[in-house]
Amino acid sequence: MSATILALTWSIPLSIRMASMKHRVKSVIISVFNALLGLPTVLVGLLLYLIFSRSGPLGFLKLLYTPQIIVIGQAILITPLLVSLMYEVFTKALAEYWELALSLGASRGQAYKTVIREVSGDILTISLIGFSRAIGELGVALIVGGNIKGYTRVLTTAIALEVEKGEFNVAMILGLLLFIIVLSVILSIRFIKRGTQ
Amino acid sequence: MIELRNIWFSYIGNNYVIRNVSVSFDRDVIAIMGPNGSGKTTLLKIASCIYRPVKGKVIVDGVDYWSLSEQEKVKYRRRIVYVHEKPILLKGKVADNIGYGLRIRGYSRVEVEEKVIKIAKELNILHLIDKKANELSTGEKQLVALARALILNPNYLFLDEPLANLHLAVRRQVVEVLKKVRDEGKTTIVIATHDPLLALTMASKVIILDRGRIVQTGKPQNILNKYII
Ligand SMILES: Nc1ncnc2c1ncn2[C@@H]1O[C@H](COP(=O)(O)OP(=O)(O)OP(=O)(O)O)[C@@H](O)[C@H]1O
Ligand SMILES: [Mg+2]
Repeated sequence: MSATILALTWSIPLSIRMASMKHRVKSVIISVFNALLGLPTVLVGLLLYLIFSRSGPLGFLKLLYTPQIIVIGQAILITPLLVSLMYEVFTKALAEYWELALSLGASRGQAYKTVIREVSGDILTISLIGFSRAIGELGVALIVGGNIKGYTRVLTTAIALEVEKGEFNVAMILGLLLFIIVLSVILSIRFIKRGTQ
Repeated sequence: MIELRNIWFSYIGNNYVIRNVSVSFDRDVIAIMGPNGSGKTTLLKIASCIYRPVKGKVIVDGVDYWSLSEQEKVKYRRRIVYVHEKPILLKGKVADNIGYGLRIRGYSRVEVEEKVIKIAKELNILHLIDKKANELSTGEKQLVALARALILNPNYLFLDEPLANLHLAVRRQVVEVLKKVRDEGKTTIVIATHDPLLALTMASKVIILDRGRIVQTGKPQNILNKYII
């Protein structure tokens, strides 16, 4: 959840920027992000490990094997997904609602507010997709989190551990729990969205 | 008066879709006609200060719009309203849509409500105002978009294909409303249209656009007779 929020703080401005960019630069950047979509999570985990390990460039932050690094890692992981999807939404919204607001005499601030209001439902749905990917990923949490009991152990790493131990029943129950969490978040957001139509 | 001086505009690179257009809009009703893709919509959006021209000047009531500060721009922009050819409505109720322009201008809730009802009556859409905007038909949306523009009493009203989706009887009614606005004499109306009848009944001047250039201007009777079969 915090990973999703963190990722949103930079993905929203980034995708707005991109949506209002010039044609050529834009298509290069969007291709890069689309390519990053398929990045294996263990690879992201490994990269972060190399950067944050004691001898890495950011090793002095001493973030390896902490919950914070999991959040940062997962936020980075889902950024390409969020940006790719939101970019589409903002491109359309800027073409339509931004123009509309200006045509009716809105100031820039008011026009921004109008655009955000119009896309809020879509942004919520996209965040949800990001959230599902973050909570369901294993690579980053395992490699940089370390699966330390009561500290950096999350559902997916716990499941992996149980599978390794041969405790398939426990793993299945944890898996079910993961599914229920994701489902209930999705359902509640659906519910909120309906109210704002 | 809105004056366009030597306007050039392109969406992509050097592909100019408006080429060296100079024209001014002052009083009365002006119709802009021309083939599909000739640049009518683009020109209207430039004249209503939504698009910034690549070259040339847009002079609104004597000032060079694009040289103004953001605050000043808003002031001048509020004299102008543009209505899209494909209606775009905001989420929420029809009444909220119609009142949008007044709300952002800081009118009170009561004032907004009063004016919304008044304009909705005039356009015969009072029965729609409590509906959700996304539940309307295209023609109904177009009427709402028109109401949302007319409620602002703009000095300059740019209408892009205002009758395109409307039933004949409704067209008549919209034309009557627009004529009333024209006869009040405070609003300059510019209409992009493919409909020679609309141009003949309302406009005092017709401008023909072709591939981004003005190729003909004059009185509608003189220009349009050959199009009426
Ligand atoms: N968003 C856009 N991006 C790129 N090119 C565009 C865009 N909008 C319009 N054009 C191009 O600009 C030219 C002028 O288009 P415009 O919409 O102004 O024509 P129009 O006269 O309004 O046509 P119509 O009668 O079909 O409404 C066309 O060649 C069109 O392909
Ligand atoms: Mg057009």
